[in-house]
Amino acid sequence: MHRPLRGARLRPLILGAAGFLGLNLVDEFAAQGIAPRCGRRVRTNVLELRRRKVTMVQAELDSPEQLAEACAGVDIVFHLAGHYPRLSLDLPGALEMGLRQLEHVLDAAARAGVRRLIYVSSSATAAPRDSGSPSTEADVFDRVPAFGTYHALKWHMEARALREERLEVVVACPAACLGPWDLRVGTSALLVGTARGLQIPHPDGVVSWVDARDLALGLLRLALHPAPPRRVLFSAGSLRLQPLLEDLARRYGVPAPAWPLSPAEALAFCDAEEFRAARYGGRPALARELADLIIHGVPLDAALARGALGITFRPLSQTLDAFDDWARRVRILPSSKPLEA
Amino acid sequence: MRPDPTATVDDRVLYIISQLVPVQPSQIRAEQRLREDLGMDSVGSMELLSMLAEELDLDIGVEDITEVHTVGATIALAKTFLARKAG
Repeated sequence: MHRPLRGARLRPLILGAAGFLGLNLVDEFAAQGIAPRCGRRVRTNVLELRRRKVTMVQAELDSPEQLAEACAGVDIVFHLAGHYPRLSLDLPGALEMGLRQLEHVLDAAARAGVRRLIYVSSSATAAPRDSGSPSTEADVFDRVPAFGTYHALKWHMEARALREERLEVVVACPAACLGPWDLRVGTSALLVGTARGLQIPHPDGVVSWVDARDLALGLLRLALHPAPPRRVLFSAGSLRLQPLLEDLARRYGVPAPAWPLSPAEALAFCDAEEFRAARYGGRPALARELADLIIHGVPLDAALARGALGITFRPLSQTLDAFDDWARRVRILPSSKPLEA
Repeated sequence: MRPDPTATVDDRVLYIISQLVPVQPSQIRAEQRLREDLGMDSVGSMELLSMLAEELDLDIGVEDITEVHTVGATIALAKTFLARKAG
């Protein structure tokens, strides 16, 4: 029987605090008057954590010693730092690293007496429903989806996290996260490319999104909930990508996006881009995992997050406005061009 | 070799840059562009600012990345923040 956690006495550790979701979670904690301990790696951009004046601890996921120290005295761990391979070319390597690091985190948390670990997975683990209606938490692939490295990795890691018995593990499955602090321009890549008028080759499919600030609130509520659900989907809505990109192009007053590629064409393009990036450096023009997520995307039903956690998801327009404000400030989008609302 | 805390700002910045790109500090020149000449991507530039902030205890923000296109500009940024800190 797990004891409930209380906000005022919460002693949280955030692994991945310096990243996109981590910074939003740190801000959510600050808004609630709670000071989280923030795990960091040696080669991490900690500019914004420094500005927030939070306590940082060294927490390399390959260092059981550092993780043990980071978890000491903590009652809840947010694991937002699960392995996200830069490229999709090495599935065995990605699985080995992702599962090894997750094992280290689970071991450290269990040994330190952490009561609850909230593991942030991905909506890539949401399986389609035969009826075509939106997928819920009950819709899980019964075997590893054969879509690509990212889907396989997330499926294996989530399955491992849910098998944990030494401490309570809760899994959050967010849709594509949008909002401020996406410093590496991950899921925002197509948004930024379109806003800049770039004709990025892409497939079409169903995409679901969630504002990173809503996800942060949801994670906090998962921490405080006396008996949280084991697995929760976070999604504000689902749309087909092509009309969404066309709306974005109109919003920014740029040429309409290119016509979508077929799934086979898109995957061939991504694979060629990955080989180019592996050989010459740089980033693929379209990440393979994004193409897989778009092609195999399913509509999501986030009723559990709304009901059990009381999350009111922001409409897409508010999320885009917030992203736009932030992206112009840090010059991810040109600051000179006014937004066509 | 890591410069000691009494080393000049220039040397400390050059050392940090050399940790991020495969170039010796002695081969790094002020006029070199981080991206085009030293092969640093935007993530590397962000890491550079972060390491600079930690090494020199500066209150740099991500928006300051727009100021660091060259080695010389990075050194100048560090000196500006140090002067601001000194009051």
